[in-house]
Amino acid sequence: MFGYLIKRLIQMIVVLWVVSVLVFVMMSFTGDPTYMMVPLDATEEQIAQARRLLGLDESHLVQYWRFLLNVLQGDFGRSFVFRQPALQLILERLPATLEIVFLAMVIALVVAIPLGVYAGANPGRPLSRAVMAGSLVGISLPGFWVGMVLIFVFAVRFQFFPSSGRGPTTELFGLRVSFTSWEGFRHLILPAITLSIGTLAILMRIIRAEMMEVMKQDYIKFARAKGAAQKGVLFKHGLKNALIPLVTVFGLMLGDLIAFATLTETIFAWPGIGKLLVDSIYRGDRPVIVVYLMFVAFMFVVVNFVVDVLYALIDPRIKIK
Amino acid sequence: MTHSTDLIASRMRWTRRGVLAAALAAGIALPGAALAQQKSVTIALTADAVILDPHAANELSGNIMFYHLYDPLVQRTADLKFEPGLAESWQVVDDTTWVFKLRKGVKFHNGEELKASDVVFTVERLKKALMASLVANIASARAIDDYTVEFKTPKPYAVLHMALAEILIVNEKYAKSVGDEQMGLKPMGTGPYKLAEWVKEDRIALDAFADHWRGKPRIDKVTFKPITNPATRTASLLTGGVDVIQDLSVRDVASVQANNNFKVITRPSLLNLVIAIDTRDKSPTIDLPVNPMKDRRVREAIVRAINVDAIRTVVMNGFSTPSDQYVPSSHLGYVPGLDFRKEYPFDLEKARALMKEAGFEKGFTMTLDTTNNRYVNDGAIAQALAGMLSRIGITLNLNLMPRSNFFGYIRVPSDKSSFIMSGWDTPSGDAGNMYSVLMYSRNKKQGYGQANRGSYSNPTFDEWIDKADATADMKKRNEFLQEATKIAVKDIPMIPVHYEQDIYAAKNSVTVVPRMDKFIWAYEMDVK
Repeated sequence: MFGYLIKRLIQMIVVLWVVSVLVFVMMSFTGDPTYMMVPLDATEEQIAQARRLLGLDESHLVQYWRFLLNVLQGDFGRSFVFRQPALQLILERLPATLEIVFLAMVIALVVAIPLGVYAGANPGRPLSRAVMAGSLVGISLPGFWVGMVLIFVFAVRFQFFPSSGRGPTTELFGLRVSFTSWEGFRHLILPAITLSIGTLAILMRIIRAEMMEVMKQDYIKFARAKGAAQKGVLFKHGLKNALIPLVTVFGLMLGDLIAFATLTETIFAWPGIGKLLVDSIYRGDRPVIVVYLMFVAFMFVVVNFVVDVLYALIDPRIKIK
Repeated sequence: MTHSTDLIASRMRWTRRGVLAAALAAGIALPGAALAQQKSVTIALTADAVILDPHAANELSGNIMFYHLYDPLVQRTADLKFEPGLAESWQVVDDTTWVFKLRKGVKFHNGEELKASDVVFTVERLKKALMASLVANIASARAIDDYTVEFKTPKPYAVLHMALAEILIVNEKYAKSVGDEQMGLKPMGTGPYKLAEWVKEDRIALDAFADHWRGKPRIDKVTFKPITNPATRTASLLTGGVDVIQDLSVRDVASVQANNNFKVITRPSLLNLVIAIDTRDKSPTIDLPVNPMKDRRVREAIVRAINVDAIRTVVMNGFSTPSDQYVPSSHLGYVPGLDFRKEYPFDLEKARALMKEAGFEKGFTMTLDTTNNRYVNDGAIAQALAGMLSRIGITLNLNLMPRSNFFGYIRVPSDKSSFIMSGWDTPSGDAGNMYSVLMYSRNKKQGYGQANRGSYSNPTFDEWIDKADATADMKKRNEFLQEATKIAVKDIPMIPVHYEQDIYAAKNSVTVVPRMDKFIWAYEMDVK
């Protein structure tokens, strides 16, 4: 286990380093951000002064070297635009994103598991077919369109939910969260549903496919033969054995939603981190992009680690090496 | 626990009505009634401010906040007139010396009084800041006494007071004690509103500053919400989440107008979309031994081939105003009666004839550089231009890029460009700034021609600008700049296309004053 941890740690450092190099190389092609920050009538001296202020007056290599040295001391650099530490910009927006992502994942699981199990256990039934057709629709609908339709129907037409923004927040363990009050929770619902639809559809299809596979196994036949109840057969013997691929995909999708909930956040004016990434790309705000992508890489490494641990818990035959 | 302001507001409105009705029914006086009369408004902007330090950024959302939190010495009105702000009067002592008298008893949000030293500090801070160009026309500032400031300009500059409208005064002690980073987060000025709360990407809440020198603002609480998606902005207005929205999407105009509870407000903006034409001997994207556009006749042919009205109706859905000159009529240097569209009306026959006369009957191929995410419908306008110019034999290749690449790409010496479309706005109310930067000969004088992308050079034009910049008399400056305008309209170094239209929507109960500089200002607004 210890050796495994060390291996994972080294792997993480390499991944983070590669990401930082990639972003620096890419950003060196996207033009000089100084020009977006100075007025169009700025003279050469004013531009030079701005460059100096932003730390852009040196070669890309020197800038990268500086960045590395600072990272080793825990300083991830400052945003050109906000003039704030880049990591702080991400962390102060993170709770809002986590909130809708977790609610979205709960919705996805609660809906996908029973429907997927049902469709996998009873492939021929009309309801199973409907579920499968529905999942195809869910996969093919673009999230921003679903968001707009939800706003139009549930906010503008029937006024069940607010159309956008985050509701009142309360402080919980130092984080601002909004799910603690009814008004805050109401603001969460539409964005979370929008975010969950794609994931829900994919999870459902995976569960169904795995269940169909598992249901053909001898141990299922045996369980039935010994007279186990249908529910027990499906969930205890069937679903448990179908879980491994589900956990893998679930982990990846969780990471994906946290990192790139951009569209949903933009549509619902949700103050999360996804919008920060897009805005920073538009503004050529390299420090934020670097730290953001490093943060995302870090998150995926952690998620994969958790998934590995879960494998061992779900299937004792698997050993972590 | 914090509640969103609009929620509180709607609840309060409701309870107030209920309580008042009860009070009336009972026939008793209500001592709390005055307290309940708090007015509030929620405004949706297209983006959040990035930094609240007025010397460190230049983007619209930030600018809107700056003018709520800070005041300039000279105030710009909604229709671009200039009136006393923190300075109650000023006089021009000699060609390069101006003296400004400060208003007495102006209070900062922390209760301190505004002193001349704060103004001097502001100028010095700006010189080292990102927005140093704002003080390019100030050589030095000196406090004569607590309420008198003397400015020296590097050369005679008749419109210094207009330029001062963009310089927001900060408190010396406060700025020095909190440092630059905190200045960006916790602004403290003399403005009509003070910052109550800033939740990034969610809301900026402002409270009225009761001791403001103009008097307490009518609206007590102003909340700005960044809502980037245009459809969501409209939905927020319709569902009552916000009271006013900036940049109503063109496709929503009809539906909002049809609703009796809301109104749509439009006004031409200051942003003039212009096309810079390369006038060098050889042009980077034109594969010919000489640059055809060196010939004025070719430039005129191009202008005549562009149907600005068609762009307005087809591409802009009617929401643009064709530009008659390089600057709007409110500006110094505008020539009354002169109209680019009347001078060179859309006329394909004439355009073809001019091309033939110049020896380019067969046309030529060149590239248009422009953005695809900076101006309203910029990409679609570029496509329309390509179609229009093809009719006089010019094949226009399009090079569309995001703005993060664009401004570095086209930067003078513009050695990759022949034909560049971009926007230019001059909130200073003076054509001189635009002319000296965009059209004055390159490399002739320091601080002139630094954005002259087409390398236009006409000594007579330069002379008029020199004259304008050598007088401290505003009337003379205006006359000199008008002469320059006439030359530019004749020479066509650039093609002015149109002004974008600002579109707002609001609840009927809110009085919105659309400003020419786009800086929504709650001080001028009211709520019924």
